[in-house]
Formats: sequence, structure tokens, C-alpha cells
Amino acid sequence: MTARTYELVHRTAYTYDEPVTSSYGRAVLLPRELPEQHVHRRVLEVEPEPADTAEHVDYFGNTSSYFAVTAPHSELVVTARSLVTVDRPADRPVADLPRATWEDVARAVRPGGTAETADGAGGASDALVVLREALLPSHHAAFTDPVRAWSAPSFAPGRPLVEVLADLTRRVHEEMRYLPGSTTVTSTHDEVLAQRAGVCQDFAHLTIAALRLHGVPARYVSGYLETQPPPGQEKLLGADASHAWVAAWLPGAGWVEVDPTNDTVVDSRYVVLGWGRDYADVPPLRGVIFTEAAESRLSVSVDLTPVELTDAGGRTSPDAPR
Amino acid sequence: MTDVLSTVRAGGEPEPDWSWLPEDTPPPTPAALADARRQATGLLTDRGVTYGTLDGGPWRLDPVPMVVDEASWSGLEAAVAQRSAVLDAVLADLYGPRTLLADRLIPPELVLADPGFLRAVDGLAGPGPRRLVLHAVDLARDPSGAWLALSDRAQAPSGAAYAMVDRRVVAQSMARVYRRTPIRRIGPFFHALRRALDAAAPMAPGSSESPQTVLLTPGPHSETAFDQAYLATMLGVPLVEGSDLVVRDGRVWLEGMAGPEPVDVILRRVDAQWCDPLDLRADSRLGVPGLVRALRAGTVAVVNPLGSGVLEHPGLAAYLPRVARTVLGEDLALPSPGTWWCGEPASRAHALAHLDRLVLTSSDRTHPVLGWTLDTAAREELAHRIAAEPLRWTAQEPVPGATTTADPTGRPGRQPEGRSSVLRTFAVADDDGYQVLAGGLALVAPPGAEVVSSSRGAVARDVWVISADVEATADPWATSPEELLPRRTVSLPPRTAENLFWLTRYAERAGDTVRLLRAVVDRWYDYARRPGTPGGRALAVLLDAVGAHHPGGWPQASPGGSPLTGDRERRLLRALLLDRDEPGTVAWSVRHLADSAAAVRDQMSNDFWLPLASMERALEVEAAAERAPGSTTGLLPVLDRLLEALLAVAGVAGEGMLRDPGWYLMDAGRRLERSMYLVESLDATVTTVRPDDVESYVLESLLIAHESSITYRRQHSRRPDLAGVLDLLVGDARNPRSLVFQLDRLRDDLAHVPAASTDARDRLIQDLLDLAGELDPRPAAAAVGDRREHLAEILESLRWRLAGLADEVAAAHFAHRPAGRAMGDQWGLR
Repeated sequence: MTARTYELVHRTAYTYDEPVTSSYGRAVLLPRELPEQHVHRRVLEVEPEPADTAEHVDYFGNTSSYFAVTAPHSELVVTARSLVTVDRPADRPVADLPRATWEDVARAVRPGGTAETADGAGGASDALVVLREALLPSHHAAFTDPVRAWSAPSFAPGRPLVEVLADLTRRVHEEMRYLPGSTTVTSTHDEVLAQRAGVCQDFAHLTIAALRLHGVPARYVSGYLETQPPPGQEKLLGADASHAWVAAWLPGAGWVEVDPTNDTVVDSRYVVLGWGRDYADVPPLRGVIFTEAAESRLSVSVDLTPVELTDAGGRTSPDAPR
Repeated sequence: MTDVLSTVRAGGEPEPDWSWLPEDTPPPTPAALADARRQATGLLTDRGVTYGTLDGGPWRLDPVPMVVDEASWSGLEAAVAQRSAVLDAVLADLYGPRTLLADRLIPPELVLADPGFLRAVDGLAGPGPRRLVLHAVDLARDPSGAWLALSDRAQAPSGAAYAMVDRRVVAQSMARVYRRTPIRRIGPFFHALRRALDAAAPMAPGSSESPQTVLLTPGPHSETAFDQAYLATMLGVPLVEGSDLVVRDGRVWLEGMAGPEPVDVILRRVDAQWCDPLDLRADSRLGVPGLVRALRAGTVAVVNPLGSGVLEHPGLAAYLPRVARTVLGEDLALPSPGTWWCGEPASRAHALAHLDRLVLTSSDRTHPVLGWTLDTAAREELAHRIAAEPLRWTAQEPVPGATTTADPTGRPGRQPEGRSSVLRTFAVADDDGYQVLAGGLALVAPPGAEVVSSSRGAVARDVWVISADVEATADPWATSPEELLPRRTVSLPPRTAENLFWLTRYAERAGDTVRLLRAVVDRWYDYARRPGTPGGRALAVLLDAVGAHHPGGWPQASPGGSPLTGDRERRLLRALLLDRDEPGTVAWSVRHLADSAAAVRDQMSNDFWLPLASMERALEVEAAAERAPGSTTGLLPVLDRLLEALLAVAGVAGEGMLRDPGWYLMDAGRRLERSMYLVESLDATVTTVRPDDVESYVLESLLIAHESSITYRRQHSRRPDLAGVLDLLVGDARNPRSLVFQLDRLRDDLAHVPAASTDARDRLIQDLLDLAGELDPRPAAAAVGDRREHLAEILESLRWRLAGLADEVAAAHFAHRPAGRAMGDQWGLR
């Protein structure tokens, strides 16, 4: 798959039955600049106009946006617009990836392992800290007996990590039903396992917990996946959605990204917003509102529209295309 | 306060050791000591020194000081200061380069898995030279007498203000010993703290204004609410809750009644995770959304910085010696007991092999588990939990309790036992390093208890550092007064204003009820057995008015006499005084008065707590007395005590408080409540016509209840008649108990209270004044049949306007922000 360029619009609207006196929001909706992902432009629009906005790079390196709307309002619309080119070398065949077993990987990253030498972890001074963090249980990826039991068959002794990843994503895809509304932000992956259904966040968390439980560093990636309309139909506006998948660390290859929801290796149809230990580190949008309103309605639409760049072939200077 | 551990050493307890006393000072006799202890308890009650969440029990203090000699202290002082500096360096690194983790001087997982490590505040180094501004450390001596650091408090250390109040109480109750002993002063520590707070402010150097500092409290129901309020008073900074603050334009503002005022420094007593529902715990109601954003903008400093709680990880102690050598190039002078963090395999193996001898602490900082108290099954279960989540557990060697204290009241026949104790001292950042409080807070566990904790019955003792040079600590106020800029005065947050308003309303309601009850009980003694006499019939009217039972076998209430208290059930006179749980009783009003006062403790003069304590005591004593439920015995003395105390409350408010908007609101509350009670008591007693002889008894009691009988007698030679009473109680602007007087004052009070819109409020006051002015006593006293309809109508109309005025005052001055809540989540949406 060659490089792809997307016009990305993610619109979130909250409507309230009574005025909200103020809304404070935190968004990770601006895509990250990455070796395989170039952001030509990106902007976060908030209506009504916020009295205060700020942006910073967070602990994980994501761009985090803050806004405070302090005039009374009964509708809040947050729209992120970006133009992004994705060109993943991951489009190379999986067969080319290193064949280290999952036990090798676990041995390398644990205390006293080879990853403690600078080159083992990739050189950066914080690389070891990053790897160790990716081994720890987290809020949405707790180490529980059901996850242990469910994941054990995928971790056959001596199995290369790439095969473990392929097996885990295949099993999630085959054994779990993708069912929007079947879980909420407070659901646990034990509940997901029990009902054999969930959404992309659940599947990512389940896979992450399985990997970390076996000593393989894993993290949660928030972003988007370009969807294809059924054959012969036109793509509907707003048909795309936020998505979440998994990155696992493989010595010699770095972070290998897989999508358990769709049982696939992440390629150039995927746009990355940011990553963290799990959903709680990178929710696209969260906030605090002050209101007497009892009811609120939320509507979200995401459009990931492939566009042709004038300078076809991928990398373009940031200010060239409009 | 949090738990601290040390094991009990069996063996006899020594008597208090007085050998440190100067030669010419004999030790206190047992009788003098017992007296000092009684006095200390009394002083603590009178000052309202409380500890604990539910209704705040008294703070327990044994006035016998714990003494440390100068030589021992000076070594400890330096060691504590060094430990603070090491922890400060750790804090700066963990939220900065994290070199200590990358170099594995501290195992990365220890920090990364700790709930106290807050990624949301990564990179937010404070502006001052030091991140860790206030540090507390809990100390004990090992059997050789050397000091050990049992635990560090770096989140929001509590107890410094308790140490100060202990010192004041001990100085008074052990005055003779105190005066004859050269004791290092602890006051300079608080001056240093104020200076450190100023230094933390993100202000342009040379600013002519001193920074605005606030103390952020989780509220009056916090365990250490007293400590927080007392500290705020000592520092001269407002005590605020999260809802008093707001983030606008990247700054923190205090929403005062006179408008928002910028806040530069927040001394927090709220744990960091709860400080900002936007960037930290979303379910927190204690924080300020946007606070992290303001920190990131560099417009405010939070002390200690958000994220400092990670320094309280119990396992950190195992690595501090090598960290100290790396960051300071020094050996750690204050060691900890042997510590094994179970995240390291070797340490875990040691911990698991010695579970029966170690103390196990989880990183959620809940109560520690004493390995030797567990049976085999419980120990196995613990071992299983440690194996499942090793990163969460830390094992520590117990420290044999220092048995420096004696309990002369030990019951005969009981084996004397050692008592565990711990000393908490404090360090505050200053120019050169850290200044350590010269003393601290000693806590002594009850005999046999192994965990030293205020929540588990530990008793505090003052710590005296005996020194040839009692001024050894540099006092910034003594050395450089010019450096301390004057504090900006700050307008009240609406929450505080509301509490002040209600405080006096409850005080007035209690006082009004007490006065009326007194008048009723007086008549009761004379006429309860003679219901048919005019005095007896008047008693029936008064009992109806207060909503009380009649003595057994009495006929029903006189027709038309509506009880004061609406359609509430009648209660016994005793219950009207003593039932804490029923609205409208005296005890209920006193309880709410105390609650309101506790919520604004930092605003109240110290003298205020004495009458409050006296009221609570009088009510408790009488409630505990064994009397028949219907008995009226003993009521009058209690009513007298209460009235005396309420007069003292009014006196403190009148003579001891600055005339600022808070004071005017307090006065307005009193005036409004008194007006309401006046109108209600008239309505309940005189709108129904009764025979002249009965009515004059009723009127007499009414005049007494409204403190106007002497005045009346001076003006009139006859028995009271209604027109005369109305004239005095409603229209006489010179009578401080009259309605017109209250309304005049109300108007004047409210004019001093700033608010955005006061039209509705002022219109109502004018209406009320007009109505009261139009009440002409003669026609109002006239009756049609057995009702005084005209009077009843006027009173009714006054009544609802007064209620409306209370609402308008609330709307104009206490406008509540709606509660904050989380926006909906975009989970699995498409």
C-alpha cells in the first residue's frame, strides 16, 4: 500500500436542555507528527469561542489541547480538522519482521535484561523507562485471571512474538463480537471476556493486558481507520469513527502496531492521534461542565477523506497543499 | 493523621522523667500533674480543638512534654534538612529528566506503578528554587537511641498547627515548668513557612504587592479540619474550598463577593489527585477544573506541587541512601528501618520469607499489615497478594516503640505495658536549604496498641527542645521585617459569607428560643398545677406558641392559638431544649451554630470557641442527667448558662471583629432572624383575643422573652396592654429588640455588602419598613369577635416578606455555581 493523504474532520457536539455556564475541555484530537505520519496542518475549533485555549505536549508526547468556554451556552461543538499523509513502512510483509520469541522479548526488557543497555532499548535516554512503563498493568488493562486464562493458548513456548500478535488479533476477531453500546468506559475486560462482545477500545485493552501479562511491552494507540463503503455504494458522510489499536515492542523492529478489532497489521489506512498506557491516557475529548441541565446529547461524526496531493507520492512540505 | 508504626516493647513503664528540670525546679506533684491534665483538656475544649471526621472528637493531649536535649536535636535537625533536600531532588528529577529511573538508582517500576506519580503534571516544575516546600517526617528511636525515619509526608503534611496549639495549651497548663525551662521556640517555623509560600509565587521580582495565598481545604469534615483552619489563621491566609476558586484566562481566581481576585499561591490540603477534575480524578468535587492548565501557564504555584505524593511511597526508603550519595554526594544522615520493595525479586524473596516479622504496606497507602499479627492462613493470603502484585508492596522492619512515656493512671491489676510513640517534625524550604521546626508533634499510642495514629486513639504530646539558646532558629520576622509585604485584603468567598450569615441566624434562633423557653418555664413553675387560673390559661397559650406538651390531663389548646412552629408535633419542654436532632430545638440550633462556625473557623476570633464549648457542655450535662422525660427540673439553670454564652457570642461578634462585609452579613443574619422570631411569636400569642387577665399574663411573658419588660414598666404604670406592647416591640425605633430597629439595621448592614444586583433585596426591606411603620398599635389591637384579623394580616404579610428577603440575600450574595460534572465520553461511538 502506498502513502495516503487524508482530509480529517472529527466533530463532536454536545447539546444541553439548559444553559451550561462554563465548559472546560481537554482534547487529544490533533494527530502526532511521526516518522511514518506527516501532519500538513491541524486545527481545533471550539464553538462558542473559548475564552482560553492552550496546547502542550503531554507525558507521552501527544499534543494535548485545553479550552475553557466561560460564556453560557446550550451547545458545544468541538471540531478537529487535519490534513495528514501516512506512509507506513509496516506495509512491508510481516514475514520480514524479526522472529524473536515472546520469551526472548520478555527476557530482554525485564530488570537485568539486555534492554538495559542503551542500544537494546533503542538509544534514547528514556527508552528504558518507556519500555518498563509499557509492561505495567494500568487502569483499563488490569492483570486478571480471566485474561491470563484466555490469553495463555496464544503464548505457546518458543513462539515468535509476531506470531503471538497474529494469533491474538485473529482470536479477538473470531471470538469477540464487535457490538457498539455493549460496553461503557467503566466496563472491565473481564466483562468483555464474559460477554464475548465489545468495541475497539475493549479489544485493544484485552490484547494489551495479555501481552503485558506475559512480559511483552504494549501500549494503546488512539486514532482513526479509513473505512470502505460496501461495494457499489458511496461512502456516507460521518461514517468513519475514532479507533483504537495496539502497539507491541519487538527488538529490532520497534513498536509493531496491530489492530485486533479488524485482525490486521496497521497500515497506511490508519491515522494516529496519540498513545498512552490505555484509553484513560488519551481519550479524544473529556471535560467538566457546570450546569443545572439534567440532559445532554452527544453526537460525533468523523470523516477521513482520501485526497490527492498536488505533489503526489507522499511527503509534502507543510504549507504546500491547501 | 496517618499511621506510623512501631512495635510495643513489653516491660514496665517509667514514671515521667523530670530529670531534665533545672535543679531549683521540683517536679510537679501527682496532684499538680492531674490538675494540669484536667486544665489541658479544658483548654482544648474551650478552643474548639478537634480531630476526626464525624462531629470531630476532641484532640487528645497529655501536657507532660516529650523532651529532647539540644545535642540530640541539632544532629537530628541537620539530618531532617538533608532528607528534605534529597526528596526535593528526587521530586525534581521524577517530573523532569527522570535520570534516577533511567540509571536505575530508583527502580523505574516503583515510580511508574505508583498511584502518586501523576503524569498529567509532568514537566511542571515549580518556579522556586525547591519543589518540595513543606516536608514532614515521622521519627522514632531505635533501641540504641538513634533516630530513624519511619515515613515521609510530602503530599500535604498535617499536624504543624496541632503542634502550635499543643505548645500554647501546655505553656498554660504546665506554666510553672514551662517558664523555668529554656525551650526552643516553634513560632519561627510558621514565619518561615509564610516566607516560603511567598517565595513560591510566580511573580515578577520586585513586585510591590505580596502574593495572594490561599489554603485549599477539602472542607470542614476533613479529619484535620482544625489543623487546616488554625494554620490558615496563623499564616493570615484565607481558607478556601475548591468551589471558591475558578480558572479563567489561564489564572486561578478567588470568587469573592466583590468580584474575582487573582490567586498566586495555593497551599493545598487536598490530595493532588483530587485537585483538578479536568486533568486528574474526574469524580473529584474538591478541586478546581483547569488548575493544571494554570500551573502549566505558570500563573500560580501549588504547594506542595501536584505529584509530590509519590515521595510518600514506602519503598523509596530502600533507595534513598544511594540517591543521596548521587544527588548530594553525601551519606544519608537519617536512615529508615530496613525496607524491602517487593518489585525487586531478591527483596520480594526476603519479604516473603520473613512475613511474620515485617510490616507490609501497599502503595495505596492504606493501613499497614503487621505480619506477626496474622495467622497462618492470613499470612498465606497476604503472600499470595504480594506475589500477584509485587510492585504494590513494601516490607519494612518494625521499630521497637520508644517507651519514653508513663501512664500513672494505669489501672491496678493490669500488666503495665510499653507504649509506642512517634515524633512528627516538619521542614520548610528556605534560602539555604530547609528550616526544621524546633520540636514537633509526639503521638503516643494507647497501651498495647501497635499502630500510632490519631485515628486510633493516640495522645499527642508537645516536644520540647531544651537549649541554651532558645532563639537558635532564625526568625524571618525578627531578622527582616521589611521583606514581608503587607497582605492584600481579600473579599469573602460566597460560601464563607453564607456560613457567617447562618452562624448568627442560628445563634439568634437559639437565643430567641432560650428566652421564650425561660419565660414559659417560669410560668410553668407557678401555674402548671393550676390550669384554670388566668396564669394557667396564659401558660397554655405560651406552650402552644413554643410547640410544647401541656401537663398531663389538660384540655386542648385554646382555640385559634397557632403553634409557633407550624404543624410540628408537640414536644416536651425538655426535648425542646435538648433534642439535638429535631429542627427548631435549642440543641439543634446550637449544633448548627457550631457547624457553621467550624466551616469558617479561620474567620472567627479564638474567644468565640469558649462560649460555644460552654453551651455544648451545658446541654450535654443536662441531657445526661437522669430525669423523667416530662420533668422541667434543671431546665432554668441550663437556659441561664446558654443565655450567658450566647451573650458572649454576640459580644465577640460585636467587639472582636473587623467591620468588613463578613461582619455586616453576620449582623444582618441576626437582625433577620430576630425579626422573624418577633413576628412569629406575636402571631402565635396575640392574634386571638383572650380575657384581659389572661392576656396580660401572656403579654408580660412576651415582653420578658423579648427583653423589653423593664423598658415597658418604665414607660407604663399599668399592666401591659396589647397596644402598648405592639408600640414597644414593633414601632419603637429606640428599642433594640423592636422590629423597626432590626429592619433599620438590616438595611444599613446590607448596604455594606457588595453585590451585583440588590434591587429586589432593597425593595423588600423598604416594603417591610413601610409595613412596620404603618402598623398603628390602637387599631391593630382592636378585635372583631375573638380574632384580631387586621393584626394577623399585617403579621402574615411581614412574615412572607422576611422569608422573601432571606431568599433575596441568598440570591444576591451567596449565588451558587451549579455543580461541575464530567462531559459524556466518546467510548465506542460511531
